[in-house]
Amino acid sequence: MIVVTATRLPTSRSDVAIPTQVITSEQIREQGALRLSDLLAEQTGLIMQNDFGAGIQIQGFDSEYTLVLIDGEPVIGRTGGTLDLSRFALADIDHVEIVEGPSSSLYGSAALAGVINIVTRKAQDGISAAASIRMESHQTSDINASIGLANDSGGLRFQYNRFGTSGYDLAPDVVGLTAPGFSDQTASLRGSGILSDRIFVDLNAPFSSLSQNNQIGFQDSNITLSFSEKSIRRDWSVSPRVKITAGSGVILSVRSHFSNFETSSVLEDESGKSELRFERSLRKLEIQGDYVIGTSSMLSLGGGALTESVFADRVAGGMRKSSNIYGFGQYRWYPKSSFEMILSGRFDHHSDYDSRFNPKAAVLWSAASTLKVRGSVGTGFKAPSFQQLYMDFTNPVAGYSVAGASDASGAVKAFEEAGLIRFFLIDTSGLSGIKPESSVSYNLSLETDITPSLHSELRFFHNDVKDLIDILPVATKINGQNIFTYINLSRIYTQGINADIRWQLSDRLSFSLGYQYLDTADKDVISEIEAGRVFTRVDGVDRRITRAEYGGLYNRSKHSGVVRIEYRITDPSLAVTIRGIYRSCYGFGDINGNLILDDIREYVPGYTVWNLTVSRRLSSTTAAQAGFRNLFSFTNATFIPSIPGRVLFLGFNMTL
Amino acid sequence: MFDISKTANAFLPSQIPAKSLWLKIPFMFLLATILITGCDSNSAIDDSDQLSDTIRVSDLAVDPFVGFVDGRPVGTGAFTYFSLLENKVISETDSSSTKWDIALQGTTLRVNGGLSGPGNGAVQIIDGLFEEILLAPESGWKVETVSAPAITPGSGAGWYNYNPATMVISPVPGRVILVRTAGGLYSKLRILSYYKGMPETPTAESEARYILFEYVIQRDGSRSFE
Repeated sequence: MIVVTATRLPTSRSDVAIPTQVITSEQIREQGALRLSDLLAEQTGLIMQNDFGAGIQIQGFDSEYTLVLIDGEPVIGRTGGTLDLSRFALADIDHVEIVEGPSSSLYGSAALAGVINIVTRKAQDGISAAASIRMESHQTSDINASIGLANDSGGLRFQYNRFGTSGYDLAPDVVGLTAPGFSDQTASLRGSGILSDRIFVDLNAPFSSLSQNNQIGFQDSNITLSFSEKSIRRDWSVSPRVKITAGSGVILSVRSHFSNFETSSVLEDESGKSELRFERSLRKLEIQGDYVIGTSSMLSLGGGALTESVFADRVAGGMRKSSNIYGFGQYRWYPKSSFEMILSGRFDHHSDYDSRFNPKAAVLWSAASTLKVRGSVGTGFKAPSFQQLYMDFTNPVAGYSVAGASDASGAVKAFEEAGLIRFFLIDTSGLSGIKPESSVSYNLSLETDITPSLHSELRFFHNDVKDLIDILPVATKINGQNIFTYINLSRIYTQGINADIRWQLSDRLSFSLGYQYLDTADKDVISEIEAGRVFTRVDGVDRRITRAEYGGLYNRSKHSGVVRIEYRITDPSLAVTIRGIYRSCYGFGDINGNLILDDIREYVPGYTVWNLTVSRRLSSTTAAQAGFRNLFSFTNATFIPSIPGRVLFLGFNMTL
Repeated sequence: MFDISKTANAFLPSQIPAKSLWLKIPFMFLLATILITGCDSNSAIDDSDQLSDTIRVSDLAVDPFVGFVDGRPVGTGAFTYFSLLENKVISETDSSSTKWDIALQGTTLRVNGGLSGPGNGAVQIIDGLFEEILLAPESGWKVETVSAPAITPGSGAGWYNYNPATMVISPVPGRVILVRTAGGLYSKLRILSYYKGMPETPTAESEARYILFEYVIQRDGSRSFE
């Protein structure tokens, strides 16, 4: 199996020093998920986290610390840091590569916890066409159509997907639906051509749009407020790329990427309406050269420039632009078939925050024919978000203000000159030069075949992160409300073990088990606890918290896992898969006033969701699929509104 | 509107291990009896050269919400004035006198000194266990000035943390408010609840702005709480 994400080069998965998890097209088909978020939720070590959309937690990091790529190009459009993975229709996706641990040495910002690279489908030789339809509970429907054309000199593929749902309601006594209905359409055009034996070009152009109407409200004994909310989201990108074989062992790639993401939502009630807009765009040009040196090493050098702009109601001046130039290099040394070493590094210079250099070293050692040991040390970073850099917002009702870090002292000074500041809470002269959040990470993996039918993999990770950006009040205004800005504040660690076992019991039956142990903590909280300065109050009596009582970061389950049973026969062609996804209890927020996770009331109970899919090939060109998601109808309306009850689905597809 | 009782909790000698409840319970009864008797005769308060017992003030209304403006609940903005020495609410008409020691409105706490009042009052907040604080510091006392209030407002800075997700105000455990009264006496105080009836797990629907607090006052003028 060829993977590209870990080294930016097509390499056999088993030979590369950086472990890559691959979700194959067969797994995608047999699981029968429609959206990327549903697919990733069934991977060991990936935890779905729903806040501002379906985000993914990797190695204990929130969604904003994972870089998501489509065919190697970055995806933009995060809300509150979360990239909503339910945006991506699986019909367009061939396979998914996941690299855990930092990859900032090749990809720059956000590749701190890991990289998810979505590899799209390419046109098959000849003329191909496919169509599928699927119906689900909650009046959910999904329609796909694709046509493709390919020969020796190139290919072209067009794909259309429409996904619609009427949503569901877990709390009928509250105004509005728990998950409102929406419809989402994606159309994409992908083409490639071999212009000569030396020049290969390809183009990706996906476009998607979502529209949603919802009724939201607030109800109390005294008052009922009700609004209608209309939201739209549009995003598109175009990526033309050229690959030139310049001579023996020299390949030059030029990649450009233009991407745009916009949302708007209109809130309306009897008294009027308010609109909130957000638009972000990215332009990127990148060059990479790969040189094979002799028989045992390879050098890649590259560099690029990107500009980003954001238009938003809550940004100073309504619009901000920033630019980033970077260079990266990678040296791969493979003196023996049982050994490989990779050294890589990237320098990022950005217009609005401090420059960064991120190195990484990785080693593969085939210790025995059935044992591969992979280890790496590297750094990762995450740039301050647009919100953290450029926010300029005063809440019209509550009266507080938020100033982005790019010019916090200037913003505070403007308030001061306008006579709006009553007093300062910190010395604002030191408010300059926000740094990216950065990490040092260690990863070790052991991959072994215990018997020919029993495959296992153990992955250990440890991440030390500093300069995490927090929001902090800096001054109090004469209206009594605070001005906030963002500063580098806390230090955390995350560490754990991922274990995967896959056991082929017979040619029909296989069983796999994945487990993650995760330990996270805020290091400053630990030192406060050790100094005896963190307290709890039980039945009105205060006492000091012990280290053992501290539950670490919120929203992290200590234990999580996936069990999968697969049964396949070829005549008739039938596949049945049953998957159970478990996560143990996790903290949701502070109850007892000390801000840390320590009280039993601060935890959401653990849960398991079971999914079942049956796939049956009806003829050489037709197939049907049916199943249940959340077979036992687990729900938790208060804390996990993103999980509906049991969902039945039925689908049919045909190919030409 | 508010009821005053006394608790023996903070008064238990610390050498009694928490696990020996069988020892604790009769002891608490004994103490409670003494305290209640003391309350009835009001002798603890008259006795001016003594440390007070731990005095608990429950459900003190501190400008509860009366309506909505722009969808947000609002009160009248009025402060509730309280005398720690006399353990009673002082009328607002006496707000410019030295009869009161602390004034509360929502999450705001003022002391009778500086710009807030004519008294000799001051305040400081320290982290620690209420019963372990045996001496008020000599320095670090704050009063309201033109440039800043005596207690920095906002979540985490004063006596409470605000959770924007649950919209609940929670008193910070282990945070002790040291108050110098209008008359220059020293008191230590801790707030236990911001909601009526002190619900175990308050929610956004709980009735806010009813404060429950406990305090000890040293009437001999010294800084000692022993």
